[in-house]
Amino acid sequence: MRHVGRRGLVILAIAGAGVWAAWYLGLGPAELWPNKNRLGNFVEFFSAAFSPAVESQGGSGQNIALQALRGTWLTVLFALAGMSLALVVGVVLGFFASSAWWTGDPASRSWRRLRRVIGPLIFGTARLVIALLRSVHEIIWATLFLAAFGLSNANAVFALALPYGGTLAKIFSEMIDEAPRSAGHALRGAGAGGAQVFFLGLLPGALPDMASYAFYRFECALRASAVLGFFGVETLGHFIKQSFKVHYYGEVWTYLYALFALVIVADLWSGALRHRTVAA
Amino acid sequence: MSHAFELKQAAVSYNGTAAVHGIDLTIATDEAVAVVGPSGAGKTTLLRLLNGTVRSTGGHIAVLGRSLREMPPRELRGVRARIGFIHQDLSLVPNLRVIQNVLSGRVGDQGFFGSLRHVFFPPRDAVHEVHRILERVGIPEKLYERTDTLSGGQRQRVAIARALYQEPEALLADEPVSSVDPARARDTVALLTDVCRERGLALCMSLHNLDLAREFFPRLIGMRSGQIRFDQPTAKLTDGDFEALYNLERDEMLKA
Repeated sequence: MRHVGRRGLVILAIAGAGVWAAWYLGLGPAELWPNKNRLGNFVEFFSAAFSPAVESQGGSGQNIALQALRGTWLTVLFALAGMSLALVVGVVLGFFASSAWWTGDPASRSWRRLRRVIGPLIFGTARLVIALLRSVHEIIWATLFLAAFGLSNANAVFALALPYGGTLAKIFSEMIDEAPRSAGHALRGAGAGGAQVFFLGLLPGALPDMASYAFYRFECALRASAVLGFFGVETLGHFIKQSFKVHYYGEVWTYLYALFALVIVADLWSGALRHRTVAA
Repeated sequence: MSHAFELKQAAVSYNGTAAVHGIDLTIATDEAVAVVGPSGAGKTTLLRLLNGTVRSTGGHIAVLGRSLREMPPRELRGVRARIGFIHQDLSLVPNLRVIQNVLSGRVGDQGFFGSLRHVFFPPRDAVHEVHRILERVGIPEKLYERTDTLSGGQRQRVAIARALYQEPEALLADEPVSSVDPARARDTVALLTDVCRERGLALCMSLHNLDLAREFFPRLIGMRSGQIRFDQPTAKLTDGDFEALYNLERDEMLKA
């Protein structure tokens, strides 16, 4: 009974916090409805959804459908490049941020003592780096790079890879630590050393979950890659921004549909892959 | 060298509490011994003491003719590599193929990169050898199956195959049949005792099932409260000895 009471209190507190935040920010249902000045824009934008542009609305004769394909292709490329780099960061940092490699069966007394000092040091450093990478969103990384170097293709890839690498590392390290350790213990009993226990007894068991999570993050990277277009690289966001600026909403919708299609295809593909790796 | 294991007054304590103590025990290189006794008697600790995954905190222990006390870790790895251990929970990697789990048995003899290559890109003769061992334990057709698609009894055979692929001089088995049905349990104990006899390996197995212990092992060790209560040829043991071993009323109840 007391347990239920406490849970009720927590729910009440959360609801209360939500109401307070809405009051503080002055939120109301009226805000959702566009005001008179904007109503024209609103109608114009959403009615354009039914007539996406195939050719340039500016009369330049440019093929917008082709442009959307190009934007989609570049969106995929940036996501792939960013994820490849993020995977390297994630695997390396994830290894050091897992406790599995430095806890476990004590070897010699001296190594055990050394490990007791160095283990937490490396572990702590890896955790700190991960937190730093993760706490800065890819948009902010992109803004920083834009301010510091001007945004190049390489910078855009880094902006994506740094926070994604951090997130992958955090999740990978948790998956490694949660993987069953019994096989590793058995290998240690058969004379395996620490690295062998990790790579033969522990990592293979965690790999399907890690792969599945990496696929999911790739989907997120596709969306992020599109958004990076707003900073100038030629992904879908770039074209959306350009067309939006000049109110060519038909073009905007062509690009948006391309983005929807891309995300749906990626979702189906990674769903199928995940199903195969986890359930097979 | 005629003893696989030789313990004199061996003891293990965890945080000051004795798990086993005063253990005097010798097992010959071709002997098969079963350890019986109630849960918590120290059977698992004794077995892990024998392959050096638990270090003794007192007494003397020699494995395959070499004293384990103060042995440096590199040499200890070498000794462990000579002893197969079959765990209660089998301890296989579920999403690896059967052959990969078996191939990983030989890690103790290999360097880091050598062992990775051996498991994931095995040479042809290693594949043949694994196949021969799987044939012996009765599941040759499962060579390339994913381990988690196998039944409990088949997985147990994979664990046995891994221990055999290690080319051990002695096998230790900790309650290897506690998770399978009685018919499978009998088959497995028979397989282990047969294989050890064929290959001249010492075998030391802990068993809950007294009937199997008495049927398959010529020598039984009874453990209770971390001590050896009897160590006798099976033929000389009476029902009374077993009752005394498992009877809870005598000392445990008084202590509580």
